[in-house]
Amino acid sequence: MEKDYGDITSVIYDEMYGKSDEPLAHYRAVSETISNMPHEELLQRQQAADLSFLHQGITFTVYGREEGTEKIFPYDLIPRIITGDEWNTIERGLKQRITALNHFLHDIYHEGKILNDGIVPHELVFTCKYYRREMRGVDVPKGIYISVVGTDLVRISDGSFAVLEDNLRVPSGVSYMLANRQVMKRVFPRLFGNYGVRPIENYGQQLLTTLRALAPREDREPNIVLLTPGVFNSAYFEHTFLARQMGIELVEGRDLLVHDNVVYMRTTAGLRRVDVIYRRLDDDFIDPLAFRPDSQLGVPGLFNAYRSGNVALANAIGTGIADDKALYAYVPKIIKYYLDEEPILQNIQTYLLDDDSNRKYVLENLDKLVVKAVGESGGYGMLIGPHSTREEQAKFKDLINENPRNYIAQPTLALSTAPCLIENEITSRHVDLRPYILYGDEISIVAGGLTRVALKKGSLVVNSSQGGGSKDTWVL
Amino acid sequence: MHFEIFHLTRFEYSNSVTESVMELRMQPLTNENQHCTSFSLQLSPSARIFEFVDQFGNIVQHFDIPEKHSKLEITTKSFVEVNEPQKLPESLPLESWKQLDEEIEKGDFWEFLLPSQFAHPTQPLTDLQKELNATREKDPLTLLREINSFFKANFEYAPETTEVDSPIDVAIKQRSGVCQDFANIMIALVRGLKIPCRYVSGYLFHRTNDRSHIAQDATHAWVEAYLPTLGWVGFDPTNDLIVGDRHISVAVGRDYTDVPPTRGVFKGNVESQLSVAVRVRQAETDEIESSELHAIRRKGFTVTMKPKIQEAAQQQ
Amino acid sequence: MLSRVADNLYWLSRYLERAEHTARVLDLTLNLLLEQHSDEQMRARMNRVLEGLFAEDLPENSSLYDMTNALAFDQKNFASINFCLAKARENARQIREQISSEMWEHLNALYLDVTKISIDDVWQNQTTHQYFRKVKEGAQLFQGLAASTMSRNECWQFLQLGRYIERATYNAHFLDVQVAELQKSEHYPVVAKDFMSWVGLLKCFTAFEAYCKVYTADLKSDRIIEFLLLNAEFPHSIRFSVDKMEQSLNAIEEMTEVKRSAKLKRMVGKLRSDLKFSQIEEVLEAGLANFLEGIQKQNDRIHQGIYDVYISYPIDQAIAQ
Repeated sequence: MEKDYGDITSVIYDEMYGKSDEPLAHYRAVSETISNMPHEELLQRQQAADLSFLHQGITFTVYGREEGTEKIFPYDLIPRIITGDEWNTIERGLKQRITALNHFLHDIYHEGKILNDGIVPHELVFTCKYYRREMRGVDVPKGIYISVVGTDLVRISDGSFAVLEDNLRVPSGVSYMLANRQVMKRVFPRLFGNYGVRPIENYGQQLLTTLRALAPREDREPNIVLLTPGVFNSAYFEHTFLARQMGIELVEGRDLLVHDNVVYMRTTAGLRRVDVIYRRLDDDFIDPLAFRPDSQLGVPGLFNAYRSGNVALANAIGTGIADDKALYAYVPKIIKYYLDEEPILQNIQTYLLDDDSNRKYVLENLDKLVVKAVGESGGYGMLIGPHSTREEQAKFKDLINENPRNYIAQPTLALSTAPCLIENEITSRHVDLRPYILYGDEISIVAGGLTRVALKKGSLVVNSSQGGGSKDTWVL
Repeated sequence: MHFEIFHLTRFEYSNSVTESVMELRMQPLTNENQHCTSFSLQLSPSARIFEFVDQFGNIVQHFDIPEKHSKLEITTKSFVEVNEPQKLPESLPLESWKQLDEEIEKGDFWEFLLPSQFAHPTQPLTDLQKELNATREKDPLTLLREINSFFKANFEYAPETTEVDSPIDVAIKQRSGVCQDFANIMIALVRGLKIPCRYVSGYLFHRTNDRSHIAQDATHAWVEAYLPTLGWVGFDPTNDLIVGDRHISVAVGRDYTDVPPTRGVFKGNVESQLSVAVRVRQAETDEIESSELHAIRRKGFTVTMKPKIQEAAQQQ
Repeated sequence: MLSRVADNLYWLSRYLERAEHTARVLDLTLNLLLEQHSDEQMRARMNRVLEGLFAEDLPENSSLYDMTNALAFDQKNFASINFCLAKARENARQIREQISSEMWEHLNALYLDVTKISIDDVWQNQTTHQYFRKVKEGAQLFQGLAASTMSRNECWQFLQLGRYIERATYNAHFLDVQVAELQKSEHYPVVAKDFMSWVGLLKCFTAFEAYCKVYTADLKSDRIIEFLLLNAEFPHSIRFSVDKMEQSLNAIEEMTEVKRSAKLKRMVGKLRSDLKFSQIEEVLEAGLANFLEGIQKQNDRIHQGIYDVYISYPIDQAIAQ
């Protein structure tokens, strides 16, 4: 296969070619297999893969549309390959980052040393809508706040990986990672077999081990459940998938109740005590007594049961403060403060807009920068300068002036590209990588993650809700 | 002064409810100004009672009642000793602004400086600020005294003109409301001056036999503002009083949202009605508190959970 | 098992059974009406069908087209096939992880296939029969997939329970409405003059062939009623359905070890023995309508009993145990 599939400029790193014209050594076999395969054959395999997703009902729901909300997350046949060395750096970097962020969460909900030492401004924490005052002084099981994390990485022009975003609330997508692998093994069995790809299939088992580590009582087998907002949630497929993988009950708020500070679930055989809840429900909705009183999805009294240590929640309540996009800018300092280490994975340069000179610079350069609302995820509330219209820029200018704390800006990134099969042609698209980190008795990361693809030509938005797709990710 | 407080709260539902879960903030605080020597709580139907201290230092009791019930009664009895208040100076030097700003910089007053659910800037509030002409040109204590006096002179105390969850704009526009509204408005004004300010719920003992106060002002709300050298000082905008030994604090928070006496959720699609009766007596002298015991009715702070499973049963 | 899951399984099965039943009845009705010409007769039959399916009346002068539209395609009509399939799928969607992938994929495909068909497609192309067949076979295939891919666990038992309580309830009501009409005929109890109607009744229960194997093609009205009501071996008879209900309830009781089920057990036991020990002569003498209405009432109570014991039981009682 030759490198003529796209108009890539020299600043962009390509996953297959790096910055050269020849496929990198570890990509050669994939490149050859695909080049040698008749085009029709390739298309047939892509169709077989698509059909397999459709039939398995691997879908997600798009917000803001009433009809036909279920869509398949598009899957690209050509794998994304990461070498063992690259992966080792990623793994060390993520462990370091997660350890530091967990320290940070404990600190801000207890003594607040990092605030009093002036490393992170008080105001940043106290004005964050994900900061939960109710968690002050609450001790969480084993001191672990963030048991399940998905961190978004991008490869920048020098070929190194940098962190784009931390997802510390309820990161999703891990089911696609697992489903992609299943399909890949069926579509390219021999190619896959010859590569010696590290397995990821044990994720479910590892997640269960992680959750079990949080159980408040050790004298009996804990009852672990997955709490979903229900069938209308965009990630509902994933909730059912993970519950099945772990062999645990998938519950909704209405299946649970709290009596005498203990959580029970309602079964046909009577009430059964619940010890650990892997919740895929935001803080706001989890307990109408403690948080949003209009929530019909939560369990009244759950927070009190949690506070008194009768039930464990993964993730803990109030972790959203640490993935606030404005706080992101401080993560290198946070790592240094708690671990006295230099960050292994770089951050992207970030402009905080409540600083006057930053704001001035950003407002003058809106056409070159990416602006993000700090509390949003999934690619919502974003302005991508180079791809935006004047009207959109003007709108963001107003939004920023109205509430500077609510936005950050970053340079437009030269996200790496990877070859993709799009509309019967092999062409390049931008990709990122979301590895999944589990923090129980120890931190473990399955080798790989979800490689997301911006399917629109030139687009930098990889979110499933915004026209993104995915690839299987091979770690060698 | 020593007080004995009796507080009855009754919820009546138009039909049976189940799975009530409730939190109470009814136990008087023990702090440098007062000492709660005893507190008892009775529930009907009965339930096991749990307790914790919230992030503001309030003591919270909570319980759940799984079985069907159409009435819930909460009875508390407290004995509280309230200290003689500190003697306030007439004013503070102008330099105390600087001192205040320095203390804020060092300390943790964030919760009581940032906008909160009720106490946040709105256009009517900004207009009110202009009308008051409250700026840092005067010393902070004088300014607080002025704001505190403003309500009695310019607002009418009028029960049932606002709801328990009315935003402050309602009271500002109609120039009337109850203690809760005045406290929330004053908090927003004071925080606008960068003075830490918090909401206090509690009881007020009426010294006289003056019947102009009705029973419901026995449960009361006021504010506390933080001042250099003086610490937290209580202001009662409803009565234009500096808080003294007749104010009994029960809970503090950013505004009313943090300290409702009861907060609950139950299952059942019903109307709920709340009645409250309060009696505050001076324990030493056996002096009967001014108002007689009678129930008042107002909208309660409860949330109805629809029984989903039963709804599903209506599939046919 | 979660009570909510039991609830979804139960209703998934009930709705699917209902869709199948409606398809069968409509298919037959359209077929029978090919041979009847008078508007009056046609309207009388249509009304009986509507009543037998618990459907709301249609405006006067409604045509066969209107009835088919209302009972098959109208998503808003609670009795329609499309409504039932949507409900069945919705219930299945909520518990996708509890049923086999084969079952979910089939039901999802069935729902998508059937609901994209419009009345005009089938009416103009005269493919109503193929359409109804798709629904019937789709529902039957689902039950077949369930039988071959599910463990005989609680999930399975709640599916069976839903299916058979639905069948017993609908069949009792349908039989009541149809026989009441046939009994008004001047020829009753002689079948010969109303031959097509009696055959139609049997066919509504897919019972014609099974009946002939037992009684030969010699149709007698009391035998037909006996067969549909009291036959122990035929899967669409009411007695058979109640036997199945009882078996499932006993299995569920054993699996859950629930101690609050004595009353429910008595109710279903009584209904089963009523059917087992009744003679058709006695039933007809005492009045078939009474008997059938009694069955429906008992089914309603059993339905409520299932909820009280397994699904929406009071928390305080469960805690006390």
